[in-house]
Amino acid sequence: MKLIKFFILNLCLLAITQTQAIEVIDILGGKANELSVAVTPFVGDETNNIHNVIKSDLTRSGFFRAINIDAVKSFPKNIEDVDFTFWSALKSELLIIGKVEDNGDQIKVTYDLVDVFKEKLITTLEFIGKKNQDRQIAHQISNLVYEKITGTPGVFHTRVAFVKKIDNKKFTLNVSDMDGYNSKAVVTSTQPIISTRWSPDGEKIAYVSFEKKKPVIFVQNLKTGERKLVANFKGNNSAPAWSPDSKKLAIVLTYNANSQIYLMDADGSNIKRLIRSRSIDTEPTWSPDGKSIFFVSDRGGGPQIYKMNLDDDEAKRVTFEGRYNVSPRLSPDGKLLTFITMEQGSFRVAVQNLISNQVMKLTVGKNDESPIFSPNGHMILYSRKLQGEKAEIATVSLNGLKSVKIDVGKELTQEPTWSPFDF
Amino acid sequence: MDFDSKINQQSNFFTILIHLSLILFIIISFQWSPKNPYFSEVELWDAVPTVTKKSAAPPKPQSIKKETVVKKVETQTPKNTSKEAEINLKKKKQKALEDKKKKEEQIKKVQEDLLKQEQIKQLQNQLLEAEKIEKLQNELLEQELKTAEQEIITEDKKQTKRIALEGDKDLEAGRNNGELDKYKALIQQKIQQNVNNNLCGLDFLSLSFEISLLPSGELLSDPLLKESSKNPSCDEAVERAIFQSEPLPVPTDPKLFAKLKKLKLKFYPNGQPQ
Amino acid sequence: MKKSLVYVSLLSALMAGCSSTPLNDAAEPGAAGTPNSLEESLSLDKLRSDSLLTQRSVYFDFDKYEVKPEYQDIVNAHAQYVADHPNAKVTLKGHADYRGAHEYNLALGQKRSVSVKGAMNVSGANDDQIETVSYGEEEANQNCQGNECSQDRRVVISYEVE
Repeated sequence: MKLIKFFILNLCLLAITQTQAIEVIDILGGKANELSVAVTPFVGDETNNIHNVIKSDLTRSGFFRAINIDAVKSFPKNIEDVDFTFWSALKSELLIIGKVEDNGDQIKVTYDLVDVFKEKLITTLEFIGKKNQDRQIAHQISNLVYEKITGTPGVFHTRVAFVKKIDNKKFTLNVSDMDGYNSKAVVTSTQPIISTRWSPDGEKIAYVSFEKKKPVIFVQNLKTGERKLVANFKGNNSAPAWSPDSKKLAIVLTYNANSQIYLMDADGSNIKRLIRSRSIDTEPTWSPDGKSIFFVSDRGGGPQIYKMNLDDDEAKRVTFEGRYNVSPRLSPDGKLLTFITMEQGSFRVAVQNLISNQVMKLTVGKNDESPIFSPNGHMILYSRKLQGEKAEIATVSLNGLKSVKIDVGKELTQEPTWSPFDF
Repeated sequence: MDFDSKINQQSNFFTILIHLSLILFIIISFQWSPKNPYFSEVELWDAVPTVTKKSAAPPKPQSIKKETVVKKVETQTPKNTSKEAEINLKKKKQKALEDKKKKEEQIKKVQEDLLKQEQIKQLQNQLLEAEKIEKLQNELLEQELKTAEQEIITEDKKQTKRIALEGDKDLEAGRNNGELDKYKALIQQKIQQNVNNNLCGLDFLSLSFEISLLPSGELLSDPLLKESSKNPSCDEAVERAIFQSEPLPVPTDPKLFAKLKKLKLKFYPNGQPQ
Repeated sequence: MKKSLVYVSLLSALMAGCSSTPLNDAAEPGAAGTPNSLEESLSLDKLRSDSLLTQRSVYFDFDKYEVKPEYQDIVNAHAQYVADHPNAKVTLKGHADYRGAHEYNLALGQKRSVSVKGAMNVSGANDDQIETVSYGEEEANQNCQGNECSQDRRVVISYEVE
């Protein structure tokens, strides 16, 4: 009955109003800030390498900011020694402490990651290694801290490769730790080397060499040092791009015409034309799922980035801002595209969200080149030209907060590539 | 006529039912004991309580109303023999003692009576107090009944009245709501400044925490995660922001604070889609 | 004697271990055959003295590849020469200035060469006598300022015989 319904409804109203009402506050937005962390010297570390490496690694990532601890006199060895009031007064949200025990030619390194506000230990681990492995151990600690806090694996143990121009007459292809240490030349030449590409399986590097007085493509095995000439067709051979399974290479050939994109096996066999056009098509790069190829074409007037699915022949335009967009590379999850965009004569590293198509510019330029994502997609490695005949390689964090040079010496350094997680 | 009386009967029946169930609900939900389960055992005061001496009047020293038995020692001429005098004196002494005893007993009795009276009085007072409380509670009951009734019957009218009165600053209720909003805004601002969304990726995610506050603005305990953003690093970063915002700005007025001592905070670290 | 042998072998082993893979420069494309007959058939004297044929560079605007009108005569002259001398083999080497990506500049240099080749085709030069290559920005002045950089945006015409 209508009256009964009315009656029940109002009882319910009463019931509801009798329970305790809790206020709700909506909080929208926030600031992208680095987490403050105090990285203290590990007690017993004679060279002070370990905490310095951890500090550099974490700072480079753009997620952490190291607190200045120059004025601190003594450092805790483990969690029991920690004076939380002291560290929170320094406005440090996190604290990394540790100790090193010397066992002859071996060292035992223990670290603690501490949450200063909650006054508790987040994680701890012990490492055993040779004395000269201290930097490697420190990189491992950085990785563990990074993963614990951000939820993403760290890349501080990975390697990078790059080309150096020495004294205007020699070119070398070098491999070093991600932070620039332990740099070693794997190729030396009197002619330029460009377009270095580390294979996804970590075993090889493909690159373009001008040693035959024209660009040709080599694939070099990093373990054996063996190099194979995989493309020496008439005209130019350049822009090698590994398929995600490391079995194929997309390359650019010209014959006697404009640059066009071809596909071949990684050993140089089974060459076939991939994209046909009357304009410049170059700089192919694969999507991580292996189903599409992104490339640069000037079919629309100036150089822009296009995408083509391998199962159909249609190329769709991807970049629409500005009149010069080149050097595309995909993030490991395939959602972001990094490239170089020219804006008022300045060449800058940009990132485009492929779903929202929003574009962010991560560097100021003026002459930035060759951007490539880190294996965890959180940083971009690129090279930047400086005044005079100088150039260096650097990383920039995806949030744009941190751009740090990779120091490999004073020589002109460019054309970098990044190893995968495992190599 | 029949129809009318039927309607009358029905409406009577329903009004009685409504009243009964209202009373039932109010009785059920009315907090008879002033215990608040959310607070810890510590008693919190706005100011140091003044010590009220409610104890019984201190026992008066027995000597105050001592009736000084003025003994008039008659200085009789010693006509009789000393023995007679002695006996007389003895008798007199005895009598004096007896009198004294009697008097003391009288005093005692009087004091006992007084005490009894005081006790009776106390009891009477207590009774009065109890009666007062009962009366108050009854009055409250009546009031609530009335207001509940009003709310049910004139709900619409009240709504429109409220809307019309929102701009009226003289309304006490309106003023209180404004204060509440002000503090909510202050709390929102302070926490938002500390939210570090660096670890929250690029998607439009949301999460919520429930917090309990002390009058100092500090957290009573760790924030309780009610809805996760599905990104643990983001959840942790937002929780850190709450910690870093201590002490939160809270009103000093206890009634207003009571409304804010438990809060639900809903976060959208990357904002909301436009 | 034995000791020094050991030392030497040790040293050489060390050096072999430390060395990176050196490259041999590719052999220059050489021309065989007797100079005199070649000179005659190729009218090398003309090639070396003619006012237009001695000009070997065609210059371009930034990010452009069309042959500008002021270079038409030079291109025509070379085209004519190639058409007249079926033995002649010409290489068109394209370049770009240092600004922008290496690979795109490689492609741009190539497009410039192809553009010059196209112009030469029109004047009768045969495709199988022409090779187009690009060096992109690899020979450009990394330090050029403003107008200076125009020097790098060019196609260089060179003949096999030289």
